[in-house]
Amino acid sequence: MTTVPIGTETEVTLRVNGEPRTISVEARTDLADALREGAGLTGTHLGCEHGVCGACTVLVDGEPARSCLMLAVSATTHEITTIEGLADGDEMHPVQRAMYEAMSFQCAFCSPGFMMSAVALLDREPNPTVEQIREELSGNLCRCTGYESIVRGVERAAAILRGEG
Amino acid sequence: MAVQTSGLGFVGQSVKRVEDERLLIGAGRYVADVRPEGGLHAAFVRSPIAHGRIVSIDTSEAEALDGVVAVFTGADIVERTNPFVPMLMLPGMYTPLFWAMSDERVRHVGDPVALVVAESRALAEDGAELVVVDYDDLPAVPDMATAMQSHTPQLWEKANGNVLLEAVDTYGEVDQVFARADRVITETFRCQRQANQPMETRGTVVEVDADTGHLTITSATQAPHFLKWAAAALTTKQTARESGQALRGMRERLDAFRSGAGSFFGDNQESLQSQDNRGMVSQLRRDRSLLKHLPGMALGVLSSEDFPTVVCQDIGGGFGSKGSTPREEIAVVAAAKALGRTIQWIEDRVENLLDGGQAREEEFTISMAVDDDGTLRGMRVEADIDHGAYPGFPVGAGITKSMQKVYFPGMYRWEAYEMRSRIIATNKGKHIPYRGPWANETWVRERMLDVVARELGMTPVELRQQNMMGAEDFPTRMVTGPTLDETASTRATLVRALELLDHDQIAQWRAEADAAGRKLGVGIACYHEAAPGPPDFFEALSPGSDLFAQEEAKATVDADGTITVFTSQSPHGQSHETTYAQVAADEFGVDIGDIRVVWGNTDTTRFSFLGTGGSRGGPIGGGAIRKTSRSLREQVVSQAATMLEADPADVTITGGVIHVAGVPSRGLSYAEVAGAAAADQGIEDGAVFEAVESYAGKGDGGWSCATHVAVVDVDLATGQVAIPRYLVVEDCGPIINPAIVDGQVRGGVAQGIGAVFYEHAAYDGDGNMIATTYLDYLVPTSTEIPHIEIDHLETLTPGENDFRGVGEGGMIGSPAALTNAVEDALASLGAEVRDQYLPPSKILELAGVIEPEE
Repeated sequence: MTTVPIGTETEVTLRVNGEPRTISVEARTDLADALREGAGLTGTHLGCEHGVCGACTVLVDGEPARSCLMLAVSATTHEITTIEGLADGDEMHPVQRAMYEAMSFQCAFCSPGFMMSAVALLDREPNPTVEQIREELSGNLCRCTGYESIVRGVERAAAILRGEG
Repeated sequence: MAVQTSGLGFVGQSVKRVEDERLLIGAGRYVADVRPEGGLHAAFVRSPIAHGRIVSIDTSEAEALDGVVAVFTGADIVERTNPFVPMLMLPGMYTPLFWAMSDERVRHVGDPVALVVAESRALAEDGAELVVVDYDDLPAVPDMATAMQSHTPQLWEKANGNVLLEAVDTYGEVDQVFARADRVITETFRCQRQANQPMETRGTVVEVDADTGHLTITSATQAPHFLKWAAAALTTKQTARESGQALRGMRERLDAFRSGAGSFFGDNQESLQSQDNRGMVSQLRRDRSLLKHLPGMALGVLSSEDFPTVVCQDIGGGFGSKGSTPREEIAVVAAAKALGRTIQWIEDRVENLLDGGQAREEEFTISMAVDDDGTLRGMRVEADIDHGAYPGFPVGAGITKSMQKVYFPGMYRWEAYEMRSRIIATNKGKHIPYRGPWANETWVRERMLDVVARELGMTPVELRQQNMMGAEDFPTRMVTGPTLDETASTRATLVRALELLDHDQIAQWRAEADAAGRKLGVGIACYHEAAPGPPDFFEALSPGSDLFAQEEAKATVDADGTITVFTSQSPHGQSHETTYAQVAADEFGVDIGDIRVVWGNTDTTRFSFLGTGGSRGGPIGGGAIRKTSRSLREQVVSQAATMLEADPADVTITGGVIHVAGVPSRGLSYAEVAGAAAADQGIEDGAVFEAVESYAGKGDGGWSCATHVAVVDVDLATGQVAIPRYLVVEDCGPIINPAIVDGQVRGGVAQGIGAVFYEHAAYDGDGNMIATTYLDYLVPTSTEIPHIEIDHLETLTPGENDFRGVGEGGMIGSPAALTNAVEDALASLGAEVRDQYLPPSKILELAGVIEPEE
């Protein structure tokens, strides 16, 4: 077995928000740190670093994943989407616009993870029930809101995406 | 985003959040996002044992690791810093002096003993793993009962055993009232340890200017000004001799010092002079070491040429936990000064659970003296607060004790009341304020009222209505002293809640639950809180504590017409940027987008002791913004009146146009008025008009009140509790932004639901914390928090400023309403709810489904 000393870095290319990003990582660097420190995309937040709070949720090939539990080197063959990749120029993504209109968040530290989970849900299920929304969001912790405003934001986003908003 | 135009005024509307324009696109800037070029990173080595002596520390392996720049042991930090000194002392209380890191003795699992500074956080953590610490175990003091046994070791040598405070506060002839009442009912209630748990952990970036040595501390703090002075005082270590030499002939430094905190102290001479000195006397009676450290600290500060700048950007929640200055932050400041390098510290979640602050572990024995007709007459309470190892700084367990003392009687008529309080040190994380730090008084009182009602054969509502003060009683006083005026609308909230309850539906739900082998229950809780309270509330709390009700704001109009308001608050989710823009826009007669709100920079904002906390943002911070805006508007109007050749009384502002009333076509813009004034005064850019005003809290104020109603549906097979209905009727006066107020209420209730059914900062018998991840410390999720229905009363206050606070209330009322509902649900099974924490196993025990644990 070969061992690699701590601190040995290697260059990897990640596809993030549709663009290739070549960054230097250690074998142990998780995707969240690679995005935040390597790519400078600090919109992905680290709340617990053990895979429970969901603040670091990004989309990996369209599916929500905890970027604190995924190694950067295992992400190279996938398409990564972060919160910075949602808006179209100055135009907020419908999920962001809906959260704005529903005044969904307070401190908003958890918000990137919630919005990535919501994007994935609405992609799969354009007409979710409140129960489905609550179930889908139960992997994201928010300490400020009591969730109701976030659930309403997702309902609003679904309406916008269906062309009703 | 879309411009939100002024109609009837912004105050009172659910104006969309200004903050969201950056936060929702991932462009927020939280402390971990601040990445100064060449900055170093810190990681702490923490005690793995609850109580022990440090025999030796070997840092050599860590120091040898590539990428590690320095390792500081506790002793290294003690050498460079002053101890955290007692703040907000109470008569009879001993507050231990402690250091940013521990050098001789550790007092809880997680106590920081070494600090590794490295080129990355990962390398700092690698280094921390290589530090070898040898400990000599001492017997752990894991709980209050052990703490008070005679053979238990003392955490703090100079305390009276492990009891840091023992106090009795008596109001009225308690013995007589108890002797004359028909009966006395006594119960004991216990609340488990909880943790504030904001989603963003604590963190700081201490930047050292290479040329001047000036410190800029970007921090996730609720109290930037306090942190500034704490950082200055605790890391400026000079002998009296050195300081004396430096001071000689340096009167300007004294002036610089005075201009910083001085303006604050100037406005608060009265409060300062009325401080209760008995706290200092009892402190010094036990421990004179304060006298040894204070002169060097004070002279060190006075002889400094430069003080740190604290900057707050976006902050990911706090709930009280970021009001305390972290020991770690002071250690990082000392390390940055020693190395002359920038250091960032971002706490991880395990550390935050261990040492980010804990609260609420309290035990109460309460007796109510009542007559058989349901008249409440007297109350006696014995309260023990588990303080943990170290005091919060500046606000520790003492404030919980003082507030419980004042609030315990609630809105009920009592002839007499007595509270005995103890604060007890244990080997656990520190007890700090958590959203409504006193809230267990509401839980215990409202829980006990249900017990009394049942014993007297009354309903909980009947007992409350019979004894609750209302409009016809006002003005009157609580038995503890504070004046109750028309804002004390608790009874009106109860009446409204009863109107909103659909009793037929509840009866139907109850029948359905019974048929399905479940149990349905209803619980009610009522409270009022000083948010900010009448002036005599602070007198009752502790003389001179009206210091907390003081805050200044500043506002400027620049030469180009830009309007800026500066707040001393430190927003961390409360949406100040939006609500203060609403308040100011209405005063200035402009669009909300024309107001710039500045916060969090100690160089540009006015001193505030507490910053954001204590439901002060609306009434006190918002009150200061309104008063300051009003004052600045007068200056602008006066200048415009000259230009318009009109009487200032005839000048008005609509849609940003300053004009004579009725003649909007001949108006001036802010830019024109400010431009003219700038030309007159020879100012090219910067502020032309400036105002600073204080919300003094000495005449305004009032109470925030609410009634909570919980309906619970208990599954007797699983012990799971569903909440089919939750109703809050609250009164925080005129609402600035209804959606934001509802968010505060719902968030508070969610934390109360967490407190009752999910959250336990649990320790084992050796003082090991056993809930150190989110797999064990259960923050409720979207499937556990139900729809929370809110109804508002908006009682006006008689004073000039009628905003009242709403941040804490959700969490104050909910544990009582929920636990009352559970007891109601399980009453037919003989359940008596005496604990706040009711996880499924406890529910099944209460229902008699499983045997109680030994």
